Amino acid sequence: MAKARAIVKRLKAVKNIRKITRTMELIATARFKKAMDRATEAAAYTKKMTEIVADLSRVSLKFSHPLLENREKNENSVLLVLTSNRGLCGGYNASVLREAMVRLRELKVDESKYAVEVSGKRGIAFLKFQKVTMDRQYTHFEDKPSFEEVEEIAERYIDDYVKGRIDRLDVAYTQFESVSRQTAVLETLLPLGSLTGGDETEEDASNIDYEFLPSAQEILEEIVPASFKAQLFKCFLDAAVSEQIARMVAMKGATENADDMTRSLTQQYNRARQTQITSELSEIIGGAAALE
Amino acid sequence: MATTDTATNVGHVTQVIGSTFDVEFSEETLPEIYNAVKIDSEIKGVHIKVTGEVQQHLGGGRVRCVALGSTDGMVRGMDVVDTGQPLAVPVGKATLGRVFNLLGDPIDGRGPVDTDEYWPIHRQPPKLEDLSAKAEVFETGIKVVDLLTPFVRGGKAGLFGGAGLGKTVILTELIARIAREHGGYSVFAGVGERTREGNDLWLEMQEAQIGDTGRSVIDQTCMVFGQMNEPPGARLRVALSALTMAEWFRDTTGADTLLFVDNIFRFSQAGSEVSALLGRMPSAVGYQPTLGTELGELQERITSTKKGAITSVQAVYVPADDPTDPAPATAFSHLDAFIYLERKISEKGIYPAIDPLASSSRILDPQYVGERHYAVARRVQQILQRYRELQDIIAILGVDELSEDDKMVVHRARRIERFLSQPFYVAEVFTAKPGNFTSLEDTIRSFEELCDGKWDHLPESAFMYVGAVEEAEDQAKAMEAAAG
Repeated sequence: MAKARAIVKRLKAVKNIRKITRTMELIATARFKKAMDRATEAAAYTKKMTEIVADLSRVSLKFSHPLLENREKNENSVLLVLTSNRGLCGGYNASVLREAMVRLRELKVDESKYAVEVSGKRGIAFLKFQKVTMDRQYTHFEDKPSFEEVEEIAERYIDDYVKGRIDRLDVAYTQFESVSRQTAVLETLLPLGSLTGGDETEEDASNIDYEFLPSAQEILEEIVPASFKAQLFKCFLDAAVSEQIARMVAMKGATENADDMTRSLTQQYNRARQTQITSELSEIIGGAAALE
Repeated sequence: MATTDTATNVGHVTQVIGSTFDVEFSEETLPEIYNAVKIDSEIKGVHIKVTGEVQQHLGGGRVRCVALGSTDGMVRGMDVVDTGQPLAVPVGKATLGRVFNLLGDPIDGRGPVDTDEYWPIHRQPPKLEDLSAKAEVFETGIKVVDLLTPFVRGGKAGLFGGAGLGKTVILTELIARIAREHGGYSVFAGVGERTREGNDLWLEMQEAQIGDTGRSVIDQTCMVFGQMNEPPGARLRVALSALTMAEWFRDTTGADTLLFVDNIFRFSQAGSEVSALLGRMPSAVGYQPTLGTELGELQERITSTKKGAITSVQAVYVPADDPTDPAPATAFSHLDAFIYLERKISEKGIYPAIDPLASSSRILDPQYVGERHYAVARRVQQILQRYRELQDIIAILGVDELSEDDKMVVHRARRIERFLSQPFYVAEVFTAKPGNFTSLEDTIRSFEELCDGKWDHLPESAFMYVGAVEEAEDQAKAMEAAAG
């Protein structure tokens, strides 16, 4: 019976794991809906904002803002990595961290100064294992990052950038494209100008003749930092929704795997039990027959 | 009924039950237990020549015998001659290069054996005081064996495994490796396995050379076969016949003698086949109640004395892949080195399919193999053990959910697992790679570096079927060149 008992033990463990994965799947599904609404709303706002900035920079050639200027030297870079606080979300963190490690290796080759900032316990644990020194760690961003919290970080970046303490900001996060498609990307958020190339399709936009009131410079002073904040906020929102999707998919898979395993273990157990009974029976019958 | 023998003590067959038969002698001249009795007569034009062995005294002058050959055509009333002593087989240097059946008759068609010395197959095991207590590592050049289950010179090693896992291949490989390097004598016992395999081995031994001496391995070897087609009595006694010949080499020449047995399980199985016919009540899983005694009597004789050493390698079939089955479980306790072949590993295509966690050796102890060897072996086992524990979690949640430390363990374990494979001399036709002898020093260093993570960058498949770890590096380069 030794073998059958071992199987029962494993079976119990698998069933317990299945309970957890199934619950996580349901929770992720509920959270995903909310996170997605927030992300799609923010996406529309951010897109328009980026378009306007792009248009403006194309229309008025004399226009300039410190956040938009491309600096020749790249001496101080910042890498912001957005990961999750919790596990059980499949390859979500691993793929973001892979992107981050690519950038880190580049930075190491360049021998320029750089700072690494990480959000999420998973990323912190990974980078600690890789012996990467982290300058800042955030663990307070859950599935609903608030604008205020992100703004705080964004303002610090703006301040640092304007004062020349940093020359470049990269964000490694998971971009939410659609429910069935999320990709881990590395995006350069600062200088802001490097991002405008994305919307080349709107050719006719440049033909619009803008009238500025009160003045172009004043509007820009306001809209450029706002655009940057919106973009950074969008990164956080995308990351949050992608995390939920990744968890949903991973937990669905895990639950199915656990089901398969339960089935095969049950089968093995039944077989072991049956073998046991058969051999005991034949021994008793054989013994009895030998006595006759 | 024509009797051709005129010996003194003659009895008559009174009953034939399968491969056992009863004989009636006069009460005064009852043959002793284990005495050989012979039937040699002609009936209805068919010549019947069978040797039997007395197993029980039934009372009333009757004895029950196990037939060591086929009982076909045997009838009641036949004359049975008591030889007055147990079965004896020819021993001595004349047996070298020859092939015998269990009765000691040559079956290689090269005429009679030129010796006067015959030893009975039932003998006492060496006395306690005569046993040798040396514990020295016996290097085989097989990485997984040398590292995790080092063989003992003058000790016993068992190869356990279910059907088709490569027990016979590993045994043949060991013969190829050891007998080629070995200066002493070898005895091979084929017990209840395929006749074809015996024939293959015989032919191969004729071709194989010992070192550079130009002599073939067969000149230093004697072989005894009682294969599957033989009746249970033959399979029950053939191991003893071979052992007796090996004992002569040990006791008389004092040379290091090798004894290969394929397959010791058939010995227990044959015992179980005749046990019920002898009227014994079956014990656990239908085996004979005397399973432990029978095997003990055989195994206790396979041992090294102060005069000479017998190093033995035995294959043990494991029925239904269940090592708790009484036959393999009984054999287990007699061995110094224990190698367990695992189906899951052979399914991955890793040969030899030795389970690194279930296999063990008495001398895997810092006292005998040294601190470094012991430490490396334990580290390898720890990594593989952890990997095995994580297997269920990986199957359900995937590798990504593991902690960074565990991911590293999995990464290395998968490489170590593959690195335990090795090309064999006898499997050249299957692997298309020449056999490989890895020295113990190379083996220990390679595994140490693997555990330290020095070779983490190589792809997993580079570790398949190589010798020392540098060959894995070469293989990785070759794979890259082929791909790019």
